[in-house]
Amino acid sequence: MAFAVDLLARKLSIEDCPPLKEEKYRSGYEKLNDLITPVGNVTETGFLVHEDKCIGCGNCVVACPVNVVGDPEGTGSGRAPSNDKVILYIKDGIVRPVNIHECRRFGPNKTLCYACIDTCPTKAIEFV
Amino acid sequence: MDKGPFVCTGCALLCDDITVDLQDNRVIGVNTACLKGVSRMKGCSSPMTCTVDGKTVDVDTAIKEAARILEEAKHPLIFGHGNSTLEAQKKSIELARELGAHIDDTSSFCQGPLVEAILNEKIPTCTLDEVRHMADVIVFWGADPSHSHPRHLSMYSYFPRGKQRQRGWEEDRTAVIIDVRRSDTAAVCGDKLYEIPVGADPEFMDALLNALASKVPKTSFNMDPKRILELANILKKAEFGVVFAGLGMTYSLDSLEPLFRLMDKLNETAKFHLIPMVGQYNMRGFDHTLFRETGHINRVYFGGEEVEHGPQRSVVELIRNNIIDAAMIIGSDPLASLPGPLAKKLSKIPLITIDPCENLTSRISKVTIPSALSGVECGGTAIRMDGVEVVLKQIIETNRLTDEKIIARIMEEI
Amino acid sequence: MGFGQFLTEPEFKLIIVTHRDVFQNTAQENSRFGEQYAERSSVIRLDKDDMKKMGVKAGDLVVAKNASGRVVLKAESSTLEQSHPGTAFMINGPWANALVAADTGGTGVPAFKNIEVMLSRSKGEKVTSLAELI
Repeated sequence: MAFAVDLLARKLSIEDCPPLKEEKYRSGYEKLNDLITPVGNVTETGFLVHEDKCIGCGNCVVACPVNVVGDPEGTGSGRAPSNDKVILYIKDGIVRPVNIHECRRFGPNKTLCYACIDTCPTKAIEFV
Repeated sequence: MDKGPFVCTGCALLCDDITVDLQDNRVIGVNTACLKGVSRMKGCSSPMTCTVDGKTVDVDTAIKEAARILEEAKHPLIFGHGNSTLEAQKKSIELARELGAHIDDTSSFCQGPLVEAILNEKIPTCTLDEVRHMADVIVFWGADPSHSHPRHLSMYSYFPRGKQRQRGWEEDRTAVIIDVRRSDTAAVCGDKLYEIPVGADPEFMDALLNALASKVPKTSFNMDPKRILELANILKKAEFGVVFAGLGMTYSLDSLEPLFRLMDKLNETAKFHLIPMVGQYNMRGFDHTLFRETGHINRVYFGGEEVEHGPQRSVVELIRNNIIDAAMIIGSDPLASLPGPLAKKLSKIPLITIDPCENLTSRISKVTIPSALSGVECGGTAIRMDGVEVVLKQIIETNRLTDEKIIARIMEEI
Repeated sequence: MGFGQFLTEPEFKLIIVTHRDVFQNTAQENSRFGEQYAERSSVIRLDKDDMKKMGVKAGDLVVAKNASGRVVLKAESSTLEQSHPGTAFMINGPWANALVAADTGGTGVPAFKNIEVMLSRSKGEKVTSLAELI
């Protein structure tokens, strides 16, 4: 169980469990690998954007409480970022994460914030 | 070089906070615009070429041929205009006057009735900036901005903090959706979703009217009266309410009377405004310009003794009744947007297309004249969906002429 | 040659409601002649129970026709949770417009969002191409 938690928290990778690579656990290994694979381009918080679903509407950018506090005049007011304190911004019509260690879901005092997920009209964002 | 911010001409929100990355006089990156806006600003992959009868020609030859077609026609139509600057639209109206032509724009089968009602001061309206700063009750009626105007909710109507809306959308704003389906917009702000049958909008307006007058609201589709009364209560208490009217509403109203009644009633107790969800970036601009010059927003004929106007002068009825014998289309693709039987009819007469990109109409046009993409390859002014004038800037150089210049050159030839 | 092809497919009366789609619109900004624009514009989304009734599976081709026109479309099941029997959805574009009547009762505004059609299964046809529409 502890392994599973660390795996989900991305402290460990599947490769850290050598028995999983044995032949008899092969199907389990493949299944786990499938589950964890989207994580290729995922940030440390598990923030994942499905680029084929994102429409660049910016709802998440404007709703993100970190953006609102760090950039009230820009993203917090619905406009382009006006400083580098934002953690989400739109580039080429897709949302991009940056400085993700500032996300409320990061670090020892993390909280389960859903602002970016709940405001997405196309379900393009998930935390994995 | 101007570093921006620039204005996106992808839709009538005219987002004015866009920056771009350039390389070799091309837009290769776009910041802050939505997916659709990026696609617009990067330019299309099928630019239109300059042709007469399908053969490549120089611009002078194409302009001369266009002038000849328009001059020889007894009933020429000039149509489109939603993707042109105010300057080009003015020139177009001037040309129509000179030719004694028919002139119309896409508002003719789009948001025309609502823009007209606003210009005639029959419906109170407001600006999107006022919505951002003050709106507490936002009604999306027959509209799905997440798909038609993707930044609508984030830039103005729901998510941003405004001067009098500092606490965020969860506490400060209530969104109501009235639609025939649970749209993607309803998925993010749809705890107040009212699903009604197709075409039931006027009936629902009357039901709301009853609810606002504290009568039991009955509907033929048996919506729970309690829910309608609850909605009436929300609307009544609005400090600053706004209805964003989509085509779903506009197409369902044979007459605007039920809407006028509802807006009047709402304004007895609350402050309620309406903004039409205009699609093309400067459709409203054309309506304003023609209105100022003729008192009509669209559907005008300059060939009679006086300026004629009415549904029989609409692009749809003109084609259907075989009135027009040539047409010049500016920044529009009627072959794609008109009913199939009318598209077929339109394709039988000589057409001139002015557009940056190839489209269905250009493919069957006798003359095609490529123009500069406004907001990217040329500047100008435009009118946003809420009636606010916005200045467009040029971002990159081009040797293509602007719509305005092309029309002016055609006029010189006539 | 099977006997089946001589039988007419049963027809079902439906209302098509059109709507916008940002992905189709994005594709259109890039090119009216691209595959993505055609693919998205030529899909009809049907109520799940209607599909059962008609014997249509997701991905099957169907014929939609009325006095204005006739197009072959790809049927997909509705993305909406709530059922909507008798109503189908299409993205606004030349395929849906092919079915819109020219007669507007004198108003000049066609019924783009309320299109009555007869729908049946297609027999070995292809989805109508853009070229066929113009």
